[in-house]
Amino acid sequence: MATHETVTPDRMTPGPTRAGDLLPPARSAFGRLREIAGLWLPALPLILVIALLLLAPALSLVIGSFRDASGFSIDPWIRVITRRGDQAAILTSLALGATVATLCTLVGAPVAWVISRMLPGRRAAWLALFTVAGNFGGIGLGFAYYAILGTVGMLTLAIQGVGIDWVPPRPSSFGGLVIGYLYTNVPLFVLLTIPSMGALRDDWWEAAQVASATRAQFWRRVGLPVLAPFIAAGWLLIFTWSIGIYGLAYALAGGGAAMTTPLITLRIGDILATDFTETWRANVLSVILMAIAILSLLAYRVTLRRAVRWFR
Amino acid sequence: MSSVSLRGVVKRYGSVTALDTVDLDVASGELVALLGPSGCGKTTLLRTVAGLERHDAGRVAIDDEDLSSVPTRSRPIGMVFQSYALFPNLTVRQNIAFPLEVRGRPAAEVRRRVDEMLDLCHLGIQADRYPNQISGGQAQRCALGRALAASPKVLLLDEPLSALDALVRVRLRDEIRRVQQQVRITTLYVTHDQAEAMAIADRVAVMNHGRIEQLDHPAAIYDDPSTPFSAAFVGSRNAVPVVVRDGEVRIGPARLPAPVGTAGTDRLVAYFRPEEVELSDDPEDLPVRVELVVFLGPVTRLHLDAELDGGPVRFHLDLPSRQAAAHPVGSLRRIRIDPSLVRLFPAATEVHP
Amino acid sequence: MSTAGRRILLGAIVVYLILPLVAVFLYSVATVWQSRILPDGYTLEHYVAVAVDPRVQGAVLRSLALAVLVTLIDIAIVVPAVFWARVRNPRIRPIIEVGAAIPFALPWVVIAFGIDRLVGEWAPSWQTTFPVLVLAQSAIAFPFFYWAVDGAMAATGIARLTEAAETCGARPIQILRRIVLPIIRTGVATGTVLVFAVSFGEFALARILVGSSYDTLPLWQAQALLRTDDQLNELAVTTVLSFLVLFALAAWLVARGRSSGASLAAGAQVGTPTEAPR
Repeated sequence: MATHETVTPDRMTPGPTRAGDLLPPARSAFGRLREIAGLWLPALPLILVIALLLLAPALSLVIGSFRDASGFSIDPWIRVITRRGDQAAILTSLALGATVATLCTLVGAPVAWVISRMLPGRRAAWLALFTVAGNFGGIGLGFAYYAILGTVGMLTLAIQGVGIDWVPPRPSSFGGLVIGYLYTNVPLFVLLTIPSMGALRDDWWEAAQVASATRAQFWRRVGLPVLAPFIAAGWLLIFTWSIGIYGLAYALAGGGAAMTTPLITLRIGDILATDFTETWRANVLSVILMAIAILSLLAYRVTLRRAVRWFR
Repeated sequence: MSSVSLRGVVKRYGSVTALDTVDLDVASGELVALLGPSGCGKTTLLRTVAGLERHDAGRVAIDDEDLSSVPTRSRPIGMVFQSYALFPNLTVRQNIAFPLEVRGRPAAEVRRRVDEMLDLCHLGIQADRYPNQISGGQAQRCALGRALAASPKVLLLDEPLSALDALVRVRLRDEIRRVQQQVRITTLYVTHDQAEAMAIADRVAVMNHGRIEQLDHPAAIYDDPSTPFSAAFVGSRNAVPVVVRDGEVRIGPARLPAPVGTAGTDRLVAYFRPEEVELSDDPEDLPVRVELVVFLGPVTRLHLDAELDGGPVRFHLDLPSRQAAAHPVGSLRRIRIDPSLVRLFPAATEVHP
Repeated sequence: MSTAGRRILLGAIVVYLILPLVAVFLYSVATVWQSRILPDGYTLEHYVAVAVDPRVQGAVLRSLALAVLVTLIDIAIVVPAVFWARVRNPRIRPIIEVGAAIPFALPWVVIAFGIDRLVGEWAPSWQTTFPVLVLAQSAIAFPFFYWAVDGAMAATGIARLTEAAETCGARPIQILRRIVLPIIRTGVATGTVLVFAVSFGEFALARILVGSSYDTLPLWQAQALLRTDDQLNELAVTTVLSFLVLFALAAWLVARGRSSGASLAAGAQVGTPTEAPR
């Protein structure tokens, strides 16, 4: 059958049919292969990368966390969950994520609102600033913390210089991590939520005024109900990203070895770098981190669906 | 019953004058349409009455009370926005209740009044739907109900029909008029659609470049435009360039006395409507050639080429569609125009809306 | 919000955002900075020291090589896939979406660990090698490229244009080269800068996958920060320089078009009403 093909080799459209065939064209195995290739071939490299380098590793971690020397076992999970150090890391990561996301929301939402109402030129300048700050993270930002709030940091010296006896939070402390994390995450929160601030149309405020509402009444009855789901979605994303941060945490915590504040990401990195016999522990911690992230992302999507329900 | 009074209202945006000393009086219970092309200032005028724009000079008053320093939310107005601006998180019922609730009216009164409004606007079935679950026409009626809920003295409508498709538009236009006459509320109605303005208004204010060019009853504006802009913008018209010669203007055999203040060889434009052009058999009349035949439903419009004052001129002539078959493209005919129906304006001010 | 409140809010934000950049810059030009708010003296010698330090040179070159390779790979695999998903086979899209959601949601430490585990299991000889790092980085960075390119294709209605080109008799390769690529070049440029920036500065992947066997710039920086042999000024210099390069790229992008070059936010903007949630 394949011999009768009139399709030129470079035509990638599938389904070789001969004009005038009255019956549906019977396809050879080769023809079907061509058809499938025509549909999928250009995307194949990307699909392979997704499958082998993103899906397979995630699955491998999940499966690996339920194994020990004897085969299937929930023993690794029990040993992680019951160990105080690991519990502390999980709880601290969650608390850190929640604290950072909440502070980002409190600061970022008003800022996003104000910027979303600026003239395009000024707004672009602000967006550029936030883009720059949001991209400044990792080791460089960790170093900046020392330069500003270290024992001989700029701000430390400035405050002590005016006679106040002030000791800045240690970078590896919970407070120190929060300050560092806020730096990249506030700009990200602002950049994330500015577009959704457009959901609140200006003529609603005008209509509310015509209806005799005060500014407070408008925000309570219309403004906040409309924006709340978008803001909540932003909170969830920052929460998800914060618990997964590694480079900045590594820099702030001094490599994670002398840990005053245990974090899941630091535990995982530390185990992998130093202790091969504990890899199973890193494996379980990774799956826990994964589960938190997936749950949070699902909540994000549900929230967003709620947010746009009034606009469909 | 309340009246609106604007005196010398000026509004500037930087170097652009959006409202140029506008005077306007709307009588109690009257519906005045503000008609004009986009950018003519009609929406700015409406928003000035609402207090959403602050005027730079002049006086805006309702019932003789100067509102210049009164904020929007304390003005006795209701407004329907072009986009309706229905609050998306509130149902139809809650939207209509909003102006009452923010005024702190007792719950029983709110409920009674909202039911009245739902009834008035025929929205009973949709009362508990959200704005994104109702049609454009229903959203429009909901916006009208919200605007009227708190019994304002003046109703402001900003292009309330422009977001609707043609079929719904005519029905809702009559609906708005019915509601307006039922509650007998003083109304300002902004539109760019002259047919809409003519159909709904007691009086029409034709606006251009931030000024009111003409303010009159629809029929008067249609029959007797006082400015070339009104003539060009309202209705579809022939605009034929003519020249003053010996103190008069000729269009074929029709002779018109030249307007006061024009001199010999001044260029003018003659405005007259296509249905006022007549076909004739009189050999004295102006010879024309049929160039295009456009079927418009009840009437058919003939595009006719002629020569006038040594130059080519195109006339439009409307005749009942049944008679149009007798005048195919290419046929030669003669036309005449009743001089009393022609309006002459200086050529320099010719307008293409 | 009142005007004064707004000013105070924005002013505080500016100071907060600028301060770390200023501090790092001052550190890079300070002679000694021990006791006062500003450095005791200024010098450019740290820049010279960085320029001649073979370890820094090596680290910069390795990071460059990584970032360039990753960018090229992502262009090569993402553009055809997205094009095909838009014009020929819509079933490709959900697969890409799922793939893009993984680096978006999962911590990169976790993904890196998973890849390391998998490689250790199936191809142990490849463990801690450069190619694995390149591939892993390509996988993690591809969503940035995907969102930029997909957005550009959606904005220009590429499906309709492709149909038009087909009615003119063009073949898919011709369409891609002569119609699609020129039209989406802003998207490609945005994606390129994002992928390059992310790959150049990525720490978690490099540390977990190759450790010290392939010292990228972030790895060198981490060592400089944690060791006590006083390379802090040089660390400041490399931070300033890599920041300047990325800033220049972002500025170039903004100057060219309307993209904001915003890191992760580029693909994840909290859905505007007009777009359904991902």
